[in-house]
Amino acid sequence: MSPVTVDTKLLGDPVDRVDGPLKVSGAAPYPSDVSYPGMAYAALVQSTIGAGTINRIDAAEATAVPGVLTVITYENTPALPDGPMTILGPSARFPFKDNRIVHYGQHVAMAVAETAERAVAAARLVRIDYDPTTPVLGITNPDAPVEQNAWGLDTTRGDVEGALASAEVTYDETFTIAPETNNPLGLFATVARWEGGRLVVHESTQWPIMARQTLATVFELAEQDVRVFVPFIGGGFGAGLRFPPHAILTVLAARMLDRPVKLVLTRPQMFTSIGHRPETRQRVRLGVARDGRLLAIDHEATSTIGIEETNLEPITQTTPSAYDCPNVATHERQVRLNIPNPGAMRAPGTAQGNFAVESALDEVAYRLRCDPIALRLRNYAEVQPGTGLPWSSKALRECYRVGAERFGWADRNPEVRSMRDGDWLIGYGMAGVTFDWYQAPCRARISIRRDGTAYARSAATDLGTGTYTIATQLTAQLLGLDLDRVRFDLGDSDLPLAPQSGGSGLAMSLSGALHQAAGNLVGAFLDVVADDAGSPLRGRGADDVTATGGRLHLVTDPSVGETYIDILDRHGLDELTADGAVDPKPEGAGMTPAGGFAARFVEVRVDEDLGVLRVARVVTAIDAGRILNEKTARSQVLGATVMGIGMSLLEQTEFDPGTGRVANATLGDYLIPVNADVPDLDVVFVGEPDRFSPVGIKGIGEIGIVGVAAAIANAVHHATGRRIRSLPITIEKLL
Amino acid sequence: MTLFEYVRPDDVTGAVDLVSADPGAAYLAGGTTQLDLLLKDGVIRSDRLVDIGRLPLRGITRDGDTLRVGALTTMDALAGDPVVAQRVPFVREALLAGASPQLRNMATIGGNLLQRTRCRYFRDSAVAACNKRVPGSGCAAVTGVARMHAILGASERCIALHASDLCVPLVALDVQVHLRGTGGERTVPLTEFYLPSGESPEIETVLRHGELITRVDLPLPAPGTRSGYLKVRDRASYEFALTSAAAALVVDNGVITSARLALGGVGTIPWRARAAEAVLTGAPANVDTFRAAAEAEIRDPFTVPGTEFKVELAKRTIVRTLRDVSGVRS
Repeated sequence: MSPVTVDTKLLGDPVDRVDGPLKVSGAAPYPSDVSYPGMAYAALVQSTIGAGTINRIDAAEATAVPGVLTVITYENTPALPDGPMTILGPSARFPFKDNRIVHYGQHVAMAVAETAERAVAAARLVRIDYDPTTPVLGITNPDAPVEQNAWGLDTTRGDVEGALASAEVTYDETFTIAPETNNPLGLFATVARWEGGRLVVHESTQWPIMARQTLATVFELAEQDVRVFVPFIGGGFGAGLRFPPHAILTVLAARMLDRPVKLVLTRPQMFTSIGHRPETRQRVRLGVARDGRLLAIDHEATSTIGIEETNLEPITQTTPSAYDCPNVATHERQVRLNIPNPGAMRAPGTAQGNFAVESALDEVAYRLRCDPIALRLRNYAEVQPGTGLPWSSKALRECYRVGAERFGWADRNPEVRSMRDGDWLIGYGMAGVTFDWYQAPCRARISIRRDGTAYARSAATDLGTGTYTIATQLTAQLLGLDLDRVRFDLGDSDLPLAPQSGGSGLAMSLSGALHQAAGNLVGAFLDVVADDAGSPLRGRGADDVTATGGRLHLVTDPSVGETYIDILDRHGLDELTADGAVDPKPEGAGMTPAGGFAARFVEVRVDEDLGVLRVARVVTAIDAGRILNEKTARSQVLGATVMGIGMSLLEQTEFDPGTGRVANATLGDYLIPVNADVPDLDVVFVGEPDRFSPVGIKGIGEIGIVGVAAAIANAVHHATGRRIRSLPITIEKLL
Repeated sequence: MTLFEYVRPDDVTGAVDLVSADPGAAYLAGGTTQLDLLLKDGVIRSDRLVDIGRLPLRGITRDGDTLRVGALTTMDALAGDPVVAQRVPFVREALLAGASPQLRNMATIGGNLLQRTRCRYFRDSAVAACNKRVPGSGCAAVTGVARMHAILGASERCIALHASDLCVPLVALDVQVHLRGTGGERTVPLTEFYLPSGESPEIETVLRHGELITRVDLPLPAPGTRSGYLKVRDRASYEFALTSAAAALVVDNGVITSARLALGGVGTIPWRARAAEAVLTGAPANVDTFRAAAEAEIRDPFTVPGTEFKVELAKRTIVRTLRDVSGVRS
């Protein structure tokens, strides 16, 4: 048993962000804020054709601009090894290997100059003569190459076709979702500096360890000779999970010029350089008994990918585990197009898959004249349907109940078009959410110093999500220290290994590692006093002791103990340090680790004549296990819900049909919700601490976006009687 | 480098002389559009920018039934004017439906009139085909993503939209635009200020090189006129209109005795709906009349796949606006 115990309450204190003052005072150093003496500035040139080859590059005019140091193109780029594989697949295609153009907006040159303005001016003067070919565009394009089950994720259980053929009620519809672009507010930036044979890079990444590994591989360095910093990043939403070619080019420029180089992407370049949520088409077939039992689910999904790259977009991933259905099959297809390669965007795959399945269930509920919640409860997966094992925690039933209560679901007249306020039709809709569990190995280190403060660290990232705060809070609680006595550092690849901020897995991994490190640290203190006649804790084991108020003391008698400071003082130690690790192994645990669960309830208003749709309120009941900090967790869900409103009503990355150029690559043209689009959002946490996670938590970074779209579309149906199976639900779709 | 000279004169004559004498000069006016197009988008070239920010062209004065609005009056100031709120509420509504509070605190009335189109094909100089940017080169928007584009006054040569909200009630009101050039002052009705896209989409207004908008004269309609502005858009705020309508009506005993109507979000210029006005004037104020007016106005739209829905949406926008302004329910 660990000497450190986790607070037993479900909701952790809503303490303010520990990095809040730094951020609101503008003092938090984001990658784009980093400067070095003698630093040069880079600007990118991107292709203005969708496919073809570069015939000739004329950089003479550009290099003649005063202060221009170099123009890098494929012609003067040395051969570089590819980056390593990650769990997200091979590294991104490096566009400076040859003269081929595979999408509009591909990097084709980088100008480097003494000032950012001169670099931009030079970039505009690089003349490129292309031999264009016809780009392959459009998800339904018959000429597009197709990858079937590229990730081996297709699943099947039972006899789907047989069950569909004999079902009393069958359902077969197609859903489409426009491509979207992550658009974190912080423009992605790279600042590269070579110090002899060592490389220091400040990078907008969600995964410093992966960035270090990539740079070490590409530039043929030992990993310890590469250091990646990202103490702050202005959002990512998945865009920072792969290492981008523009960062490699910036490092290369710094090496070629032997001086620090900085590149900050422009907003339009953010649309083509760091991935986007791919366009998707899904077909959902259901077989249902008259009493509402799901007999068969067949879920087929198609997403777009770059013409010669890969992207993990597991759209059907949660379908087999969401409901207790004996016959389930999932199929994933990917269509290769001349587009910038997509990438992860908050709840990749699941956000889209949930829209289709939860819309389909709503349709079935209407056909059966059954309440949508009752239909979901009829098919409730008490155990994980794939493994047959109990979930490590699951309070989805409570989500339905509490959410429905807070929303006032019982007041709903199920008839469509039954509620109106003047020109506005009113509709209520709901959706259930099952989110997959993901966790990766993590290390953390904690020291307690002579002054009684603790210093914890791990090479994690804080995307604005609250990692600093929850790690500080957890460390303080485990070691019995006040919050202001604890410092937590992240965003530095020299710190102990941490996984990406991705897959909603970081908080789980990091908290587990901190938990173990704290336990080991208390053990280290007990080791020091094991033979210390002056210590009231002499000879005590970990089980006997706990930590509160900066002291270690007996569990049974808090008066018997002493402070960390006393122990360090008496033994002449500056500090004691201990490491912790998690290597999650679900096998043999006798349970299936669960991700989060949620129920979403939405009220919409639709002005039917004008096609205008507004979201009036959203209630979210969520089971994410134990919540480390009620405020940051709630903020995560609020922010993700807003993003879900964007996905449902506004967001679409529009590719020109002829060239694949992004036609709306600015924040004036690519619409995300503004305050006026965001109504009263209610979030309530339910459930209990998770049994698999050492500290009882489950991930919460992505689940907040999932289910919003289906609940909105279901509410639109309730309001208008019209079923919209295509996102975003814009005015023309409702006219 | 994009090098240019920056000058900030204190008087109107000096500013007009500076720009008029120099074919490469332009006013630094219409704030965001001018600098964006020059520096960020690389769409326009100017060797000399003459900042008009210090010219004494700010303020609103009333002269009988005319409101004289200096060209540098901010959107926020005009929206806050009590006479505007009382006599032409649709001007206030259009102002407040446009841009964001931050922008409205800075943006001026003259600048609003001269804002350039948001067409992403015009604004991206990497796109070869744009008749507005490079006369004779074609129009990429016609086969592109054209949801935010025009259906009235548009043609295969250009479908760029005039995106102003404010100009919609202003063309309905027949405001007069005062221009100052080296030859003195002249006055142009706003309805004649903008040129139809036609053969030369690159020529957008009657402004001659060096001419400066000094003020806008806004005639106050007769007391008893009711007006309203309706803007239809997906995002609840801070988005250009998909369609909009500004209407000012006098209804006497159920009959429309005076009708002013203009449309936004659909025209290459702020669209005065004279055909609709003809149907409305003298007709009973009811939804059938409103629909007939809408049908009369949106008779000959030029649509592309992205804009087809705007035909019906514009008609419904007209009907809804007229219904709400007149207060009739059927």
